[in-house]
Amino acid sequence: MALVELHNVSKQFRKGDETITPLDEVSLQIEEGEFVSLMGPSGTGKSTLLNLVSGIDAPDAGSIVVDGTEVTALSRGQLADWRAANLGYIFQTHNLIPVLSAYENVELPTLLLKLSSAQRRERVELALDAVGLSDRAGHYPRQLSGGQEQRVGIARAIVAHPKVVVADEPTGSLDTETSEQIQALLKRLNRELNMTMLMVTHDSDVAAIASRQLLLDRGKFLDATAQTEAGRHAS
Amino acid sequence: MLTYVLKTLWRHRTRTLLTVTGAAVAMFVFCFVGSVQEGLTRLTTGDDADRSLIVFQENRFCPTSSRLPEDYSRKIRSVAGVKEVMPIQVWTNNCRASLDIVVFNGADPEQIQQTRPLELVKGSWESFRSQRDAAIVGRNVAQRRGLAVGDQFSIGDLSVKVAGVFASEVPSEDNLIYTSLAFLQYTRGLDAAGLVTQHEVLLEDDADPEVVASQIDATLRSGPVATTTRRKGAFQASTLSDLVDLIGFAHWLGYACVALVLSLVATTTVMSVQDRLKEYAVLQTIGVRPLRTMRLVLAESVILCVLGGLAGTILACGALALGGFAIGAEGATIAFRPSFGLLFSGALVSLVVGVAAGFAPAIQAASVPIVKALRQA
Ligand SMILES: Nc1ncnc2c1ncn2[C@@H]1O[C@H](COP(=O)(O)OP(=O)(O)OP(=O)(O)O)[C@@H](O)[C@H]1O
Ligand SMILES: [Mg+2]
Repeated sequence: MALVELHNVSKQFRKGDETITPLDEVSLQIEEGEFVSLMGPSGTGKSTLLNLVSGIDAPDAGSIVVDGTEVTALSRGQLADWRAANLGYIFQTHNLIPVLSAYENVELPTLLLKLSSAQRRERVELALDAVGLSDRAGHYPRQLSGGQEQRVGIARAIVAHPKVVVADEPTGSLDTETSEQIQALLKRLNRELNMTMLMVTHDSDVAAIASRQLLLDRGKFLDATAQTEAGRHAS
Repeated sequence: MLTYVLKTLWRHRTRTLLTVTGAAVAMFVFCFVGSVQEGLTRLTTGDDADRSLIVFQENRFCPTSSRLPEDYSRKIRSVAGVKEVMPIQVWTNNCRASLDIVVFNGADPEQIQQTRPLELVKGSWESFRSQRDAAIVGRNVAQRRGLAVGDQFSIGDLSVKVAGVFASEVPSEDNLIYTSLAFLQYTRGLDAAGLVTQHEVLLEDDADPEVVASQIDATLRSGPVATTTRRKGAFQASTLSDLVDLIGFAHWLGYACVALVLSLVATTTVMSVQDRLKEYAVLQTIGVRPLRTMRLVLAESVILCVLGGLAGTILACGALALGGFAIGAEGATIAFRPSFGLLFSGALVSLVVGVAAGFAPAIQAASVPIVKALRQA
């Protein structure tokens, strides 16, 4: 059984009389340890898909099973607990809590788990070390650069050792150099910590770091791995 | 998580400070009103108010207008259920309601020492007994007027020498000045030789106050002056009836203060939460439960409320303890004292109001539509 399984998932939005159906009976399987990237034109429902997998949004039809848990059957409170233990979410804009230091931001998810304060400290230090920001632990978000903020956001997403990490355009608002650092970091986390990743991006270079590349277009998935590989070789 | 709440409050310190100050002022007033109410309750209930009677001239209210023969005390003592009778001459500087009323009670020093629940904190009974113009002063009067043992204190035609300062178990008594009966009777202008204002009656333990009271009035009906005898509590309440109405009204002022704190803290909390709905969406994405989100908001409003409320309550109790305030009319006084009950109710009201003020914003934060809030830039 795959770690993440989507079965005939549909999602609609209603805006007045108009009904948008970004996801129409889509199915998808992601194996443990896989790094999947998701590309596609704007407004096709990529973010919506991530939100469904994380359980912060609910589909209109279909089911989502992550590591044997049927996410779509959980209540809001249960989903929160499930996310705390199993899911890391990397936002496009880091969404750090401005009044908390880098250390405290990363510490937040560990406060939701049953850990001793020593274990907690160890995890936070490990996560900050993984993103190379041990020396910035006491800094507040406003004292950090965009790339550093994003790295703190990544540390916060991985500190609880989640099974699945989803990332919505994690490099979308960064310059090329910083973006490359983040790509390398995500790749390392996937390889060294065996974290299963699902990443949305608009940049095919970024998508290329994934082990499998998907294209979402008009409610369907296309495997684009070979395509981009071919494109790369041609250029 | 508490760090998060505290740091959020600290980030908007001006707003926090204003809210806390507002809550403090309102709770200060609340406690003041509460202490007036407590003072009135203490005056009209309790052992002293329930187990002693006041014999007063019929249909008279101001102490200057009640004139009873001193030897009525002999007749009263003969009534069954009466343990002790103390004839008292009352003199006051002001028959109307006043915040700085001075009330003199003239009675036999020996009897005062034996029957009243007083304790001298300064001076001696001996010098009170031995000097004709000696007086012992309630600690509140001493505090208000800055009196010490040995001082000469004059007001109107009266001039007394302070022989002691006393503390009483009955708070309103702390606003009295005791002199000897003869001294007050022979004061110029009173011309009260052989006359007293009232007789204070101590009851036997098993006596029924109402029965003894009507017995006393019946016994004295044959004398030159008719009397009305009531429980001390009822007597003081009727003497202060105008004030009692006013204090009943002040009650509403107390409620208004609570409402003020509620709206103040609620406004601040609503503003704070609405500014940060996205933050609550992020927290819930990380895995904070809706209920815990609620608790975070409630913690914020409770901290604001309890901080302000306790500050106001403690300041009010401090002011009450130091000020020795009392309001009086026609010889009866209501003392405003701080009390643990006041401190407790101040703290409890702050806590409850804090929870109430945070309830609506807490629900808003807990049920925030996560995706929609996250999409907001
Ligand atoms: N809460 C909502 N209410 C109404 N429509 C919505 C809502 N959320 C998303 N949509 C619509 O659903 C479609 C898919 O949105 P989504 O954000 O998933 O797209 P996306 O693929 O992530 O686009 P982008 O690449 O621009 O981020 C869009 O047309 C969007 O307008
Ligand atoms: Mg998107």
